[in-house]
Amino acid sequence: MEGRPAEDAVLVDRAQHGDTDAYGELVRRYQALATRTAYVITGLSTEAEDAAQDGFTKAYFALGRFRTGAPFRPWLLRIVANEAKNRRKAAGRRPTVDLSVAEDRPSGDTALSPEEAALASERRTFVLGALGKLREEDRLVIAYRYFMQLSEAEMADALGVARGTVKSRLSRAIARLREITADEVTAGV
Amino acid sequence: MSERIDERELERTLSEIGERLDHPARDMWPAVRARIADRHASPWWSRLGLSGGMVAPVAATLAVIVVAALLLTPGVADALGHLLSIPGVQIYQVPESPTARPNASAPTFAGQRVATAAEASRIAGFAVRTPAALGQPSAIYVETAPVRVTIVYSSVKGIPVSPQAGVSAIVVEFKGTIETQIMAKAVGPGTTLDAVPLGGGVAYYLAGQPHQFFFKDPQGILQPETLRLAGNTLLWEEGGYTYRLEAQVSKEEAVRIASSLR
Repeated sequence: MEGRPAEDAVLVDRAQHGDTDAYGELVRRYQALATRTAYVITGLSTEAEDAAQDGFTKAYFALGRFRTGAPFRPWLLRIVANEAKNRRKAAGRRPTVDLSVAEDRPSGDTALSPEEAALASERRTFVLGALGKLREEDRLVIAYRYFMQLSEAEMADALGVARGTVKSRLSRAIARLREITADEVTAGV
Repeated sequence: MSERIDERELERTLSEIGERLDHPARDMWPAVRARIADRHASPWWSRLGLSGGMVAPVAATLAVIVVAALLLTPGVADALGHLLSIPGVQIYQVPESPTARPNASAPTFAGQRVATAAEASRIAGFAVRTPAALGQPSAIYVETAPVRVTIVYSSVKGIPVSPQAGVSAIVVEFKGTIETQIMAKAVGPGTTLDAVPLGGGVAYYLAGQPHQFFFKDPQGILQPETLRLAGNTLLWEEGGYTYRLEAQVSKEEAVRIASSLR
């Protein structure tokens, strides 16, 4: 798909045959994606990194069961997401997706006026707050689509659902998010 | 917010959030590689605490090696730890690579020689499997106390005859549990240890300097294999049985051979 998985397949094949450097390449390639996935679930960047590293470790030892020709990326994300979910369950708390750190990062908003940039920032904080009130499965489907730009097929693999289910789950999640944002506007939050 | 966000704006905002999500900038691979090496280390460490009982059966001549095993450096211990998760096998680190006796000769194999894998299976009480990649075995030996099957391949095309074993390849199979010890290995600094995925599990590959190995005798005492050292070796567990392949092949080739067990 889109050229990338073909190269992934080569690295996966080499890793399956004992080439650890090839696996290292896959880790570097997907560490950002894996950490972000875990972050959306745990809501804590330290735990997210830990979950991502454990996910990569589990995936390494599961390479023997990886189906040849299947895309690696969603398979990996599924493992990482499970790892993150287990951590969150063990911690027994709701995630608080907090992007305050991320907000400090340089952005591509340079074309915006200070007022527009401030408004965009306010909107992000607002949507983020609403996102934190969603159920985990809704948050994850939104993250895969909008944060990680996964294709529908990849989302289906990563979520472990049929392709047909992805669309309905995504639109349901967006609808819920809109409801929450509308409620909060009405309530004057 | 004082105004409702329409759907397009919501989607755009979500994409903006995605672009700003934090992620580690540093290379994560060293940490992941360390975790791969660490995996299964803890059960072994807890057992190392019981080293007195663990090493008691080992003859006095081996005491130095065993004591040395307690002086593991952390880095080596990480690598050694997961080897110990292979049922029935324990690995000891020694500060110097062992050497074979000067009069070392071609090894003899213990046990009753049988003609076929089927016959070996009947005596051993479990289904003896042979790697298809190695072709027909030259000889099969079965020991019964403890039960252990040794399959010998005198000459396999593409695999040099090992100066240690005097044959191209040896496969050893036995039923081991975490509590039992059928075999032990003493690994010096010149021997490398790698964990590699195999089937649904993990295999361990020892290469470099030959290492010393020990088998348990019928009295339950670990005896060193004195005639020879072991060359490149792959160890793995599958379906409750532990397998050991010794052949002078690369890690990749060893995994390929191991994957061809039938």
